[in-house]
Amino acid sequence: MRGAVLPGIMQVAGLALAPMLPGLVQQAKARLQGRVGAPVHQPYRELRRLWSRSVVAPEGTTLIYRLAPSVCAAAVGCAVLVVPVGTHGIGWLGTDALVLAGLLALARFATAASAWDPGSGFALMAAGRDLMFGVFAEPLLLFSLALFALGAGSTDLRTMAAGAGDAAIAGSPAHWCGVVALLLVVLVETGRQPVDNPDTHLELTMVHEGPLLEYAGRDLAMLHWASAARHWVVLVLVADLVMPTGGSATWGVAAIAACVVALCMALAVVETLVAKARILRVPALLGVGFAVCVIGLASAVFGGVQ
Amino acid sequence: MTLAGGLIVGAALVAAGVLLAISRRTAGSSLPVQALGTAVIGACGGAVVVQGATIGSGFEGGLGLSAAVGVDPLSGFFLATLALVCVPALVHARGYLAGARHAAAITAMSGVFVLAMAGVVVARSVPGFLAAWELMSAAPAAAILLRSRDESACRTVLLYLSLTHLAGVGVWVSMLWLANAGAITDPSALAGEPAMHRSLLALAALVGFGTKAGLMPLHTWLPRAHPTAPGHVSAIMSGVMIKVALYGLVRMLFEWLQPLPGWVAPVLLAAAVVSCLGGVLYALVQHELKRLLAFHSVENVGIIALGLAAALLAGQHGHEAIAAVAFAAAMLHTLNHALFKSLLFLCAGSFQRQVGELDLDRLGGLLRTMPVTGVAFLAGAMAIAGVPPFNGFASEWMTLQALVQLGIADSPGGVVVQAVLAAVALAATAALAVYCFVKVVGLVLLGPHRQRAAEQATEAPASMVAPVVFLALTCLAIGAAPGLVLEPLGNLSPFGPLPGDVAAVAPRVPGSGAFAPLAVLALVVAATVVLQALRRRGGIAAPSPVWICGQPRSARLAWTSAGFTKSLRLVLDGVLRPRRSVEVVGDATGVASIHHASEVPHLFDEVLYRPALRGALGASRRLRRIQSGSLRAYVTYLLLTLVGVLVVVRIGGE
Repeated sequence: MRGAVLPGIMQVAGLALAPMLPGLVQQAKARLQGRVGAPVHQPYRELRRLWSRSVVAPEGTTLIYRLAPSVCAAAVGCAVLVVPVGTHGIGWLGTDALVLAGLLALARFATAASAWDPGSGFALMAAGRDLMFGVFAEPLLLFSLALFALGAGSTDLRTMAAGAGDAAIAGSPAHWCGVVALLLVVLVETGRQPVDNPDTHLELTMVHEGPLLEYAGRDLAMLHWASAARHWVVLVLVADLVMPTGGSATWGVAAIAACVVALCMALAVVETLVAKARILRVPALLGVGFAVCVIGLASAVFGGVQ
Repeated sequence: MTLAGGLIVGAALVAAGVLLAISRRTAGSSLPVQALGTAVIGACGGAVVVQGATIGSGFEGGLGLSAAVGVDPLSGFFLATLALVCVPALVHARGYLAGARHAAAITAMSGVFVLAMAGVVVARSVPGFLAAWELMSAAPAAAILLRSRDESACRTVLLYLSLTHLAGVGVWVSMLWLANAGAITDPSALAGEPAMHRSLLALAALVGFGTKAGLMPLHTWLPRAHPTAPGHVSAIMSGVMIKVALYGLVRMLFEWLQPLPGWVAPVLLAAAVVSCLGGVLYALVQHELKRLLAFHSVENVGIIALGLAAALLAGQHGHEAIAAVAFAAAMLHTLNHALFKSLLFLCAGSFQRQVGELDLDRLGGLLRTMPVTGVAFLAGAMAIAGVPPFNGFASEWMTLQALVQLGIADSPGGVVVQAVLAAVALAATAALAVYCFVKVVGLVLLGPHRQRAAEQATEAPASMVAPVVFLALTCLAIGAAPGLVLEPLGNLSPFGPLPGDVAAVAPRVPGSGAFAPLAVLALVVAATVVLQALRRRGGIAAPSPVWICGQPRSARLAWTSAGFTKSLRLVLDGVLRPRRSVEVVGDATGVASIHHASEVPHLFDEVLYRPALRGALGASRRLRRIQSGSLRAYVTYLLLTLVGVLVVVRIGGE
């Protein structure tokens, strides 16, 4: 079917296009702060530089240290192949929404376990914080996906994306409550302010960066790629659920691309305007998301849109 | 040989093993015989499930003492689970009990335990069920006492037996009442009873079977009893005994107690959610490995009960397909939990034997010294954390789907709210389980050795390694192809057959997208292999010290269990209420030393059990004043009782 080819190609191309998203956010942040900034394709240069270096073998580490970057990259790569671009997905790994949480949990498990192997204090502190954020972010992700599923009538991501084009579903309060909660999850998964500061390696601001400190060379390239692919997964998910993509496949892909670019700009604006929250305050921030989801659930159940 | 003959042969082999252990006073010859017998029993049970047949007699109503036995698909499924757990456990016991005190007696008790659990599952008369139930409760208590007789073991056994029997009142009352009413053979027998009677029956059944299964708030015996038992007995207790309690609950709620009162499903759902979240939160703050695993059993029983409650809710509102899916998810999680929990307990037994203790802060680096057991432990940890592509994720995914589909389907508003909130709680549980098991894997397997014994530990003998490897491979196999188990589970369901796509290679619940676990496993493995090859092509790995931003590495700065979970403990301060004491020892010249101790007390112990215990002891002290020792007082009591009985008879006669 001609119409389903372009979105399928875009989805697989996401594996290669993902590093452009953090590059976009950094470029937008630089412009907002009055700097020229690195070009949008800087992450590719970074990956190429890291790829040409060799890895390290810290003393006393086991196969978990060696395997963790590969497993993390493989898990996030699988998540990229699950999230459809628009209403057509390639379906090699299925298109169920609840599988996403599991694949992201596998990536988080691999990264956090790899922090224990060298035993570095910074890595362990960051891994503990990352897992603690996951304790609140994963249920929030599931709650918002459940709200979208209630509206669309299925947990298939393609059906949920098609629901965004349906005026009755997309206009309901439950849908927009879910979008607000999902945007909070985007902040946690991409590790952007106010949840975490991705630009520094200070003790206070390391959540995603911590386990990366002990890696070098191709391992570090895989972990950087995985971080960029996480951006792709959550931003394309939000774009799917917000933009109507029915009709022609080309217009659908263009709409998703425009929405993703707009979300990157929004991330840059949020990072510039908002200061980093205290680590122990982040669950309270996610609690706001839970409260919004409860309002959305009440609206869906008792407001008559189902 | 017919299936019935096979079952008899299997039971005879296990009994022969028990007799061998008693007569020869050695464990070595009895354990293989018992393992073989259990394997035969399990194979017959599995054959019954796959064929969907029923052998032996059906349930006998009434209270007559008869030894009727029979196997239907539900019983056969639990027999297969029993075998999949007990055969590796008995093989593991060969190495674990080598050189232990009372090894033969513990072996005999294990055989009796296995026979008792099989007896509960195949019993077809109420007295037979109750007799096997009591034997099943007593056998592990004996095994705990055989292992150690010190004061804490005695106290643990006393608590376990007393709580089990207090709750057993619920089991006895509900089973005997049902048998008396004839509801065991005739599902419509209770329809004429007033609703209050059925509610009392349901309450008795929930309390009785729920305590044995370990649902919160009735779970307090579980974290005390499971760690003190010998290694393989802990595995069997956690893997099978609490599942047999759930078997009783399933029979009660889905077959015998019809029509079920309306409040049972929401109450079971609430208890399941509390078990899930409470179990995993208290597991997070434990620092002894077996106690942590026991709290995780509470959590997983909560997940199974979530599936059962979702099935009840869906059935009550007419969504038969969703109810079938939820029931199958609960049964699949029963099997999966039995597998990975016994894997973890058997690995803990190996660690205990090779290192000597199981304090999480005093192990470390065991993946380097015990590689095969370590990798199997890692597989078990990933399975219980609910991480694809292992089996824990498959059953948790199905339970989540059942709950969300129940919310999507055309149900009343209250049911939708319950279902969605329960799904959110299950997602939180999964994330907490990931946190807990990353901590366990890191503290036990990775990092520096924290004591000499961990450094000098060697790999366990083959009889202890082979069972854990088998269990780890089974977990991976079921995770990659859950359809293989889901297909026969369609024969168990009281809600009709499973919808077509659920047992496919890429399972698909009606109303959801497909999920392809085999493709995920293949892709993850292939990508990892390719990336590892590319990693090696990039140049030789430079050996170097650990970086830590240039700081020196010191054993005194090594992270502890409490340190890693501190961020969550601080956030959930109000729920966990940790207690801290800081004692500074010093004088005017300066500080000599600082002692810091912190613990997280068990909320249910403080709020529920200790006050109840104090009240019970106080009331019995006050009642004891009746026993004044004076003959005149006793004669007065007799006269008063006589006068009271005459008055009652007089009033009743009018």
